[in-house]
Amino acid sequence: MGLDYQLVLWNKHKKTYDKIIVFSMLLYVILFAVITLIFNSETSIETLVIRAFGSLAIIMLHIVLAIGPLSRLNTRFLPILFNRRHLGVSMFIAALIHGGFSIFQFHALGNVNPVYSIFTSNMDYDSLTNFPFQVLGFLALLILFAMASTSHDFFLANLSAKTWKRLHMMVYMAYALIIAHVFLGAFQQETSAFTIGILVVGFITISSLHLITAFKERKTDNMKAKEKEGWLKVCEIEEIEEDRAKIFIIKNERVAIFKYEGKLSAIHNVCKHQGGPLGEGKIIDGCVTCPWHGYQYLPHSGQSPPPFTEKVATYELKLDGKMVYINPNAFKEGTEVKPTPIVS
Amino acid sequence: MTSGLRKAHKYIWLLIVIGIPILIVFSIMFLDVFSSKNISSLEIKATKSNVIKVAENDLIKASLIKMDSTNSIEVILKSPLKNPSSLVYGLIKNDEKGVLIGQLTTVGIYNFELKKPIKGIVVYDGLKEKLISKIEF
Repeated sequence: MGLDYQLVLWNKHKKTYDKIIVFSMLLYVILFAVITLIFNSETSIETLVIRAFGSLAIIMLHIVLAIGPLSRLNTRFLPILFNRRHLGVSMFIAALIHGGFSIFQFHALGNVNPVYSIFTSNMDYDSLTNFPFQVLGFLALLILFAMASTSHDFFLANLSAKTWKRLHMMVYMAYALIIAHVFLGAFQQETSAFTIGILVVGFITISSLHLITAFKERKTDNMKAKEKEGWLKVCEIEEIEEDRAKIFIIKNERVAIFKYEGKLSAIHNVCKHQGGPLGEGKIIDGCVTCPWHGYQYLPHSGQSPPPFTEKVATYELKLDGKMVYINPNAFKEGTEVKPTPIVS
Repeated sequence: MTSGLRKAHKYIWLLIVIGIPILIVFSIMFLDVFSSKNISSLEIKATKSNVIKVAENDLIKASLIKMDSTNSIEVILKSPLKNPSSLVYGLIKNDEKGVLIGQLTTVGIYNFELKKPIKGIVVYDGLKEKLISKIEF
């Protein structure tokens, strides 16, 4: 969380992650080149580059897409989520090298505009089998470019979180285009059972992870609290860990009730930065800290500590013995609510 | 995430999980995926019967075939082409490219019907306007 925009917001951990990313990418490309030259020594350098970076990009895309659901299923993956943005941009660089070399190799050496050539070199648009797969890859690259170039808090703040999130959810469309690009390319160009097999395993793994997470989340969303005189009965005090929260569904939205310093406070569960689950974070230095990117909010007011300006809605709580009740009507974002003291 | 975003994610993935396999199955339904594995081997041979003329270079092998009422040409593409648009023209006189008879994509065996007698073929990149290969019988 930083007040000023920097080109890259590095810290010690992020530098370590980035070194691991760069080292892994280089290792993969070198290994790919060595193995290819051992088994197919006639491969040209252009083909080698295209295939090495193409396969690297798709492997990285699978990892990027797996991080989200894995973090929802197991909190041990959260540190990787913290660095997902850099991994995504690195994946785009690999895809760009693949796409750039392919466009140069197949479309740029003539007297026709390379982009025009991509769209017109194969006109079998009415055939599923012979559909111009390069067009699909090109469209996916455009989406990845839009995402990579806006992967910065400057754009997140200026485009609004809603628009930014919608733009970045286009990664799923890019994924579908890339899967079709690789499948059709593999069938039309080399009929490699190995390539197709690996891709099938990747597709099943990623889609299963996302669907398992989605249905798990739906189970949480379907939990209903009992109403009593306009208040919702949610849990007993002991069910909430110290400096942690428990999440409840109030009017179809998630609310996090935090227990800290002998008090209870409730705020909306969705972080203003990238929609992270605040209730899965903890209280650090007196602030609710988002587990995704470390954005912080004061538990009693839902406001980020000055000079930050992010605000989330707050809720009123009351205790009846050890039972916690919540007023389902949210206060305006950033409204201060007196914390409910826990009387032992 | 908000409940709306959670729902959107769920429906997007349901759509991907259902849509992609359907598209892939339909795209390969009529494709004999593994039949072209030996295309580059020496076993590739044009139809021996009724072959009138044969011409060959490093890239292609072309065989003129006499049918009952028509003629056809069998073209074997031996190695992948780097050109995005590889058109096959029949040479009628001494021109660089005569009549368009078909298109080459991947390595394999192609059969094109001939409406006129030809004395060779030219493989031409229509987009780059560049000659790829030329052989005469």
